[in-house]
Amino acid sequence: MTAATKPVAKIRETRSDRIFNAVNTAFWIVVLAIVLYPLYLILIASVSDPDAVMMGRVLFKPVDFSLIGYEAVFRHRDLWNSYVNAIFYTLAGSALSLVVTLMAAYGLSRRFLAKGLFNFLIVFTMFFTGGLIPTFITLKDMGLYNTRIIMVIINCVSVWNLMVARTYIKTTLPEDLYEAAVVDGATHFVYFFRIVLPLSGTIIAVLSVYYGVARWNDYFTALVYIRDRVKLPLQTILREVLASLTTSTSSDAFFSAYANDTKGMTDAMRKAAVAKYCCIVVSTAPAVLLYIFMQKYFVKGVMIGSLKG
Amino acid sequence: MDIQADRKVNRRQDLNSMFKRVGLKLKTDWQIYVLLLPALAFFFVFNYKPLYGIQIAFRNYKAAFGVTGSAWVGLKNFRDFFTSYYAGRLFINTFVLNLYGLLWGFPLPVLLAILLNQFRNQRFKAFTQTAIYVPHFISTVVMAGMLYLFLSPTNGIINHLMGTSTYFMLEPRWFRSLFIISDLWQHSGWNTILYLATLSAINPEIYEAATIDGATRLKKILHVDIPHLLPICTMMLILNAGSLMGSNTDKALLMSTSGNTPVSDIIGVYVYRMGLEKAQYSYTSAIGLCVNLINFVMIMSVNWFSRRIGETSLF
Repeated sequence: MTAATKPVAKIRETRSDRIFNAVNTAFWIVVLAIVLYPLYLILIASVSDPDAVMMGRVLFKPVDFSLIGYEAVFRHRDLWNSYVNAIFYTLAGSALSLVVTLMAAYGLSRRFLAKGLFNFLIVFTMFFTGGLIPTFITLKDMGLYNTRIIMVIINCVSVWNLMVARTYIKTTLPEDLYEAAVVDGATHFVYFFRIVLPLSGTIIAVLSVYYGVARWNDYFTALVYIRDRVKLPLQTILREVLASLTTSTSSDAFFSAYANDTKGMTDAMRKAAVAKYCCIVVSTAPAVLLYIFMQKYFVKGVMIGSLKG
Repeated sequence: MDIQADRKVNRRQDLNSMFKRVGLKLKTDWQIYVLLLPALAFFFVFNYKPLYGIQIAFRNYKAAFGVTGSAWVGLKNFRDFFTSYYAGRLFINTFVLNLYGLLWGFPLPVLLAILLNQFRNQRFKAFTQTAIYVPHFISTVVMAGMLYLFLSPTNGIINHLMGTSTYFMLEPRWFRSLFIISDLWQHSGWNTILYLATLSAINPEIYEAATIDGATRLKKILHVDIPHLLPICTMMLILNAGSLMGSNTDKALLMSTSGNTPVSDIIGVYVYRMGLEKAQYSYTSAIGLCVNLINFVMIMSVNWFSRRIGETSLF
């Protein structure tokens, strides 16, 4: 109450600054609520009783805790098959992307003959593409349609990521280091593998998250290029489950999987209602967890890379 | 005579030394080309080969005859599209959706970055930053799924809370708002990264000087933060201008229902439906080519314009 009880600020803030801070803090509390509440809602709905979820009674905490939805998800064959596919596509694809991008990024960070031409050839693809159909026909003519290979090699290099990696290498590795290595007889290969790669941990983390999440979340590629159901990735199956108006029709995966159950149709409908929330949790957790684990390197790396070097 | 002969010798020496220099460079630098090779091969197959395939827009493509073997029809596909009932609707839907998206989606991250940058409490700042990036990692399918779940007329939480039973996903008037709001929710936080990076690079002495001169926080934002953000904002605007006719086909496809087609039918969705579901390859290639050209011209002109009036440009 008196001045003595208050901690003395190092630099006394003006009245307008204090008002600003208060408003700013309040603003961010609202923003955080808007950002986090939908995610929280999905989490608590996924472990609640179907009836409570359907009646809109689940708002702040799980109601009538039940794992019935997860049980339904775990017994959904297509979903797990596609889950395994997605893991394969993501791991293989991101590893390939990472290697190809880092190699090119190092190349572009050095001076060499006709660099301008190569730079142009790469950046140009950002601004003018063949479009969906010509690309589709070209790849189909190459025999890549309906293969697992296309799911691994498509979108292999993102120009944006390449530029971020190039900037990172250019700005974090001093030129002296390269000159010293050359004096010691290092070629580009040796310098790249022995010096650049070991020092690029941060950018490797950033690129893995970028590429990994993009592949995990991609459904459009499979929609265009994959016909066989056994080769479909997770997101395509998820689309059937989630992004449809029908809560339960005969085409609904959960409904048909449970129509033969003893309790029959109503039970299947109830399960389907919560199972959707569980699907979201099960499919989104890997991407979000990857981000949170990598978070430490992530923000720093993105910031260094995104500054123009 | 002597002088001319001398010149010849000189020129030859110049040429020789140039070749030597190039040779020397290649002797050490060939490894760079090897490192670039995989990426270039990728761009060749996935970007440059399809450019050659664009010619099917001027042909009547039949799979049996291949890209170069199909009959040449000139501009017929383009005429067909522009005289069709859909052309006007598609262009308007695409443009309006992108324009609204830009009007909301461009300023919000800048504002968020400026306000986040004002935090004194570093732990709260770090937590907030981590939290607002999370929605970016949710897939488009899940995002659309969340809309269907939350907005369901019978079981959705929104309708429960409002005591209504609106068919949000079926009514055309809700489509654009839902599309843009969900985009803002997902990506505004993430899009602050670039601006936060720019703000964190500002020399702290500038702030100190401003404080000594008696500037309030608001004044510092107006006179330090915003001028520093302007170049990067211009760059982002130029990049965004290049996609005003582009389509977020993934999301529009997921959110389009039988009810909202009058507004959800955007160019990308139409190309997908007609091209891949109905195999009208040439017709849809022509549409794709038009859109590409429009976007290309747009980004070039905005870039040219911003170089004329300011100093910022992409290239």
